[in-house]
Amino acid sequence: MSGGRDGRGGAGAREYRLTGSRRKWMVLAVLTLAAAGLMSPWASGHPDGLERVAEDLGFLERAAAVHSLSPMPDYEVAGIPWEAARVGLAGLIGVVVMAAVLWAALRALAGKRR
Amino acid sequence: MHIPDGYLSMEVWTVTTAAGAAAAGYALRRTRTELAQSQVPAAALLGAFIFAAQMINFPIAGGTSGHFLGSALAAILFGPWAAAVIMTAVLIIQAVLFHDGGITTLGANILCTAVIGSFAGYGVYQAGLRLLKGRLQAAASFLTAWVSIVAASCGVALLLALSGAAPLGAALNAMFGWHALIGIGEGLVTMAVAAYLTERRTSLAPGGAAA
Repeated sequence: MSGGRDGRGGAGAREYRLTGSRRKWMVLAVLTLAAAGLMSPWASGHPDGLERVAEDLGFLERAAAVHSLSPMPDYEVAGIPWEAARVGLAGLIGVVVMAAVLWAALRALAGKRR
Repeated sequence: MHIPDGYLSMEVWTVTTAAGAAAAGYALRRTRTELAQSQVPAAALLGAFIFAAQMINFPIAGGTSGHFLGSALAAILFGPWAAAVIMTAVLIIQAVLFHDGGITTLGANILCTAVIGSFAGYGVYQAGLRLLKGRLQAAASFLTAWVSIVAASCGVALLLALSGAAPLGAALNAMFGWHALIGIGEGLVTMAVAAYLTERRTSLAPGGAAA
């Protein structure tokens, strides 16, 4: 199973491959947790590109929620008095769910070669 | 740039839901051969990173913010099909758990972000590396990311216009203008992370050389 790191879809024009350095992937994991848990509460609250365009061109009010089933709307966990903790916790939960779902899905899919 | 429920007309969201589902299904199938089992942990981690990075809105100008998209980065690292799957997973989790991006517009968001974003970027990256003979990877990554997010935003503009939300010219102009700026941030992040996580193959060292 070794050498599989350079899968065919990978780094462009076959000139580059993914790094095999475990340390670098660990750094990415730490960055991910820090961004989701610590930095996210301090993100800019200004409208993003699409929201701004919707404001300027007057179609913002078209937005109409069709469900209210999301457990953490607007990236906040309900019931915590401190906003930074509401957002940071939502971020961390999202990161864990994201990694778990992708891992499970891709593991079931990947590398089914003849 | 997550289209919420209501922005798109019923005709447009019906068609884009079907097309988005078909595209996601096909991307899943292609991932079987494009992604190696040993790459799975890295791909899952990258998905989590993209999710986290998308939460960090950075101010750009005139009271507007932007956030990292990630389609180009995923395509550079894992190829466009796996990138489409990774971005689709991000969009589904954002819509379901966090009410970010609509349910009726999920297909449209998949088409713009996951499909257009991944493939527009990947095309530029391949062409760039070939043209530069593998040198200046950083420049190729930056341009890749810029084109990717701008192309995705133009896709959104087109769907908005088809839905009658705004005239096509005005929608394209506005979406292009803001995302040309946000694309600079997209380019810088993509450039840095792609350079950090890839290494150049050398013809001198046969595979298996210690990292």
